[in-house]
Amino acid sequence: MKHPDYTDDETALADSAEGWLKFVDNGYLNKQEQTDNGYEEQRWSELTDLGWASIALPERVGGAAGTLAQVGVALRECGRAGYATPLLSTARAVTLLDLVQGRDTVFDGVLRGVVAGNALALVAPPDGQLGVRPDGDGYLLEGRASTVEWLAQADSAVFAVPVANTDEVLVAVLQTGGLDITPVPSIDNELQATLTPGARVGADVPAVVVPAAAAARALGRADLLRASSMVGGCEAVLDLTAKYALERHQFGQPIGAFQAVRQHLGRMSMALDAARLSTNEALSLEPESPARPAAMDAVALFVAGRSYVEVALTAAQLHGGIGTTVDHVLHHHYRRAKGMQLRSGRPANRLREIHRSLVVRGDGGLW
Amino acid sequence: MKTVIADEQLTFLSDLREYLDGLDPELVAAARAENIEDPMQPRTHCQAFLRQLGEDGWLGISWPKEFGGQGRTDIEHWLFAEELYNRRLPNGLLTFNVVGPTIMLHGNPDQRREYISRIMDGEIIFAISYSEPDAGSDLASLRTRAVADGDGYLLSGQKIWSTGASIATHLWVAARTGPPEARHRGLSLFIVPADSPGITITPIITQGGERTTSIFFDDVRVPATQRVGAENDGWKTITAALNFERMFYHNEPRWELRQLAEWADGAGLLDGSTAESYELQTVMGEHAVDVEVCRLMALRGAAMLAAGQVPYAEASTNKIWWGELRQNICSTGLDLIGAEGTVVDTDGAPASGHLVHGLMSSPVWRFGGGTNEIQLDIIANRGWGMPR
Ligand SMILES: Cc1cc2nc3c(=O)[nH]c(=O)nc-3n(C[C@H](O)[C@H](O)[C@H](O)COP(=O)(O)OP(=O)(O)OC[C@H]3O[C@@H](n4cnc5c(N)ncnc54)[C@H](O)[C@@H]3O)c2cc1C
Repeated sequence: MKHPDYTDDETALADSAEGWLKFVDNGYLNKQEQTDNGYEEQRWSELTDLGWASIALPERVGGAAGTLAQVGVALRECGRAGYATPLLSTARAVTLLDLVQGRDTVFDGVLRGVVAGNALALVAPPDGQLGVRPDGDGYLLEGRASTVEWLAQADSAVFAVPVANTDEVLVAVLQTGGLDITPVPSIDNELQATLTPGARVGADVPAVVVPAAAAARALGRADLLRASSMVGGCEAVLDLTAKYALERHQFGQPIGAFQAVRQHLGRMSMALDAARLSTNEALSLEPESPARPAAMDAVALFVAGRSYVEVALTAAQLHGGIGTTVDHVLHHHYRRAKGMQLRSGRPANRLREIHRSLVVRGDGGLW
Repeated sequence: MKTVIADEQLTFLSDLREYLDGLDPELVAAARAENIEDPMQPRTHCQAFLRQLGEDGWLGISWPKEFGGQGRTDIEHWLFAEELYNRRLPNGLLTFNVVGPTIMLHGNPDQRREYISRIMDGEIIFAISYSEPDAGSDLASLRTRAVADGDGYLLSGQKIWSTGASIATHLWVAARTGPPEARHRGLSLFIVPADSPGITITPIITQGGERTTSIFFDDVRVPATQRVGAENDGWKTITAALNFERMFYHNEPRWELRQLAEWADGAGLLDGSTAESYELQTVMGEHAVDVEVCRLMALRGAAMLAAGQVPYAEASTNKIWWGELRQNICSTGLDLIGAEGTVVDTDGAPASGHLVHGLMSSPVWRFGGGTNEIQLDIIANRGWGMPR
């Protein structure tokens, strides 16, 4: 069974996503990475028709009322292919908006826009680089310049930033046109830009102010989609490394017959399992489920990042010279692994947050 | 994505907790102290504790009701094992978690009837005798022989590291019934009463204070009815038992992390904002992450067993993760404590001395049940199709 943890619906979705992504190979990824846009408009409109970003949105905005796990399944296939588009940031942004607005409808227009094909960037710097302070009937964006994925390409930017001197977070949607944006080169094929603070969040934009804990919880759900993409990346790296270990011969035998190589592969397999098990648990159980700790979303994100980097680095070792060239797809995973891990911020900060929840407070979970 | 823990299993867990909370506190405290001191030898208090559980119907969670079990799934069995480990109480160890399930799988109906019910009554305790002085990782080279003799066999040779044999009533012995060159195809598995004439058991003491043994077999008579599985087909039984052994290792790292947290709280580092507490929170945060992964790896194994599948690479993965994590928590936990961490066996020792004790006990976690190097090979071979 290819996906033992998936339901039948999820397996069907994964198969169709895998089928759609057949056009993606190393040559295609290399070519797109060199373009200003980073992806093809035509493919984006096909993606819009497929509706992966809006699977879990309510029907009233044109969504499919599906599950976050399903969105995670679709993004896992994109991660497996190393395919970069604003899909991940868009799906993360709508997950956040849908969760923070609750029964409110203030973001419905933005959500409908995504169903119709808009791309979103998500501005939620993980280490507190940005914030807002009240300014007349609106807010002023302040802090340090921050790097944001797909900001230059997106139609709108969703902000989730702390309000100065409060325990609250402002979630607001701004047109990218009014922002100070400078595209900067990226470690990987997910394009990015620097946002310089100073913009004003007017009273007329869709916005809510929510308790910081609620915002963090919603972001944790949204970031599971990044974790799931990274799990797809891990799976791809394991598959191609195991294949290479059987094909590549040295000293008259496949390199996979060398125990040193097998031991590396065993470690990679454990790292993949850790990432997949934690991400799947977090995707399949709501944070308030008694069967999981509240911090499981954060655990999954951390483990997926750590594992993706670990397997990519070891895979490069097992591929020898060929793995370092731009002619082999591994270079995309190698760079994407570190890029995706770092976009969750500084690992030490994430670990201290996890420590607070799991060890100090003991929030939820069976033990 | 499929979820494996249903409401009725959560109810089972809360019933179990209520039951355990209601047990005689003196019995619990004594069993816990004995179990912490040497978990591989359920002695007076641990045996009394297990008998109490048996009398109250709380043993054999996943075994059929006809054998006195609760007839539940492997998920409940996992919850049971985890809950007891989390309290650092004995959960039946090799007898209940390894030998019993293997007899259920590969024993004949007579053996199942006899041994499972006696295990349930707390009447018998097993020790496992595979390893020999010259057969460690290369288990298939073992030389202890079982020579056919009338309606049974005569067993002779030497075993080593048979842990728990000093208190066991029965030994689970791998012996050669075929020629040496047949390797793993010439082995059979026997259940041998530990007081059989011709058996000599001598103790070996490890650095962590745990006791294990050497066993000498000198023409020990074993009836053929004591052979589990067909002659020369013992490898199947041994492998099944080893997979059970590699599958049910888990919640002690969580318990050890909790000991560290108690120390850190007392030292004012658990929730502080100094450089020292930041370091501690980062290190402990990663341990806490890996404790959750450990839980999920064990749960996956239980889910596979519940679905009638056999975990191989998954069992090996579980075992490596558990053992390395546990050793790592003890070692890096002591780093956080510093010089005071060297104090052993004293009430006032940091983390009650549990981490330093754990560190001394820890080597075996990385090689018992098959060394981690052998496990990594199993993962690569069985999980990813690498050539041997
Ligand atoms: C406290 C304790 C309790 C134990 N309890 C039991 C028990 O109850 N019953 C029982 O039967 N046994 C028991 N054992 C034995 C245990 O299972 C063995 O120690 C283990 O299988 C390793 O065998 P060995 O010690 O002979 O080491 P060796 O096999 O000699 O290994 C030494 C080193 O060489 C490496 N090595 C060996 N072969 C390979 C290979 N092919 N590839 C790569 N590396 C290799 C190993 O990984 C290890 O690092 C116990 C041991 C101890 C210390």
